Amino acid sequence: MAATRQRVHADDLADSIGLGSEELAMRKRFLEFDDDDVQRLEGMYGLTHEHVDAVIEAFYEHLLSFPETTSFFRDPRLLEHVKGRQKNYFIRLTQGDYDHDYVTDRLRLGSIHERIGLPVRSFLGMYAFYLRQIAALLVQEHPGDPEHAFQKFHSLTKLLFFDIGLGVDMYIHQRERTIAVQQDAIRELSTPVLTIRDRLLVLPIIGILDTSRAQQLTEELLRSIRESRAQVVILDVTGVPAVDSAVANHLLQTVEASRLMGAQVIVTGLSASVAQALVTLGVDLTKLNAVGDLQGGIEVANGIMRYQVVAIDDTIPEVVDAGPDPEAG
Amino acid sequence: MPVPILKQGDCLIASIQSALTDADLLELRDELSERVGRYRSKGVIIDVTVLDVLDSFASRTLRTMAEMIRLRGAETVIVGIQPEVAFSMVQLGLSLDGVTTVLDLEEGLAHLDRSRRARVAHAGG
Repeated sequence: MAATRQRVHADDLADSIGLGSEELAMRKRFLEFDDDDVQRLEGMYGLTHEHVDAVIEAFYEHLLSFPETTSFFRDPRLLEHVKGRQKNYFIRLTQGDYDHDYVTDRLRLGSIHERIGLPVRSFLGMYAFYLRQIAALLVQEHPGDPEHAFQKFHSLTKLLFFDIGLGVDMYIHQRERTIAVQQDAIRELSTPVLTIRDRLLVLPIIGILDTSRAQQLTEELLRSIRESRAQVVILDVTGVPAVDSAVANHLLQTVEASRLMGAQVIVTGLSASVAQALVTLGVDLTKLNAVGDLQGGIEVANGIMRYQVVAIDDTIPEVVDAGPDPEAG
Repeated sequence: MPVPILKQGDCLIASIQSALTDADLLELRDELSERVGRYRSKGVIIDVTVLDVLDSFASRTLRTMAEMIRLRGAETVIVGIQPEVAFSMVQLGLSLDGVTTVLDLEEGLAHLDRSRRARVAHAGG
């Protein structure tokens, strides 16, 4: 699902992260961004158009004076490209029509910044820089009329905070998607049920067991018991760093459910600290057939299944059917 | 719908064919403990493969059924509990303590066979 969402057409970007027109209108109301603000911003078009080159140059000079941000713009061609984009961005602030297309554009910007790994603090710092520059320009343009300049500055602040909100949302959205993809991957990897011999299963559990994972694990195990007609199951918890009472109860439920399906469960690899925690918690573990390690577990399983492992003795000649003796003919 | 009870050597096999009402279950219990005596059976297999739910009444009845049959001189094996059923039972805290449960009918017959041999060996020794 995450992968398909990534390929969503740019126009649907706002919708895909749950920013419908209602939500956007609500955000503007929250910032008290109204038609007067739009008008004032549009009135600033001349100003931004006139000063865009100087502002952007100053902006990158500022960015490149910090090693942390310099690293993102090493390639001079890339630098030219992003300068062009920043100019468009800067002028776009005063071009009115702050609706769907505007939002999509802002989201795309946020997503690009996230992808190149620009820290959020630098992202915010860029906005602070714009505000400082424009404040200076406005004071310059309205000498002796600070109130007028302040009103315009105010409208711009609202719009920039609107932009910041969209950008940060995009950052969060991308990170969450990455986390979701990784969680899926972990979930798929985390519950292998291995058949090591006919009717003997081993379930190595690695990592933290939470409720959903424990449940998934149990379901997976019960299915495997039916499919492979397992007689014995070894649940190896060597890789489980901590066990709380919830997880202990899940283990017991798994053992009991497996018994109902006719399979015996052996739990192996309970570490000293885990064992101590379980005893301290007072969980009733009398039904738990625990063996020290996986090796011991397999030996116990051999006993139950009446198998015996015998080392091959090389001093006894092997009985091999070599076919007809070539010298006989 | 009554549960058909088949006789196979010294075993009885109760093969549940569809979801059971509480009354059906009680009837099965009485019928089985009666037939154990009549046929002098040594083992009883109750096949619950088709059941997709085992509630508290059903598990309690299965437990008492096994206990009654034991007192009448036979061993009970419940076979064919489905993964989903097993899981929801343990989640609801329903247990079948003291009752042997195995995977399917084949395993059940094998289990009773082992018990029979153990009995013979014991008697012989």
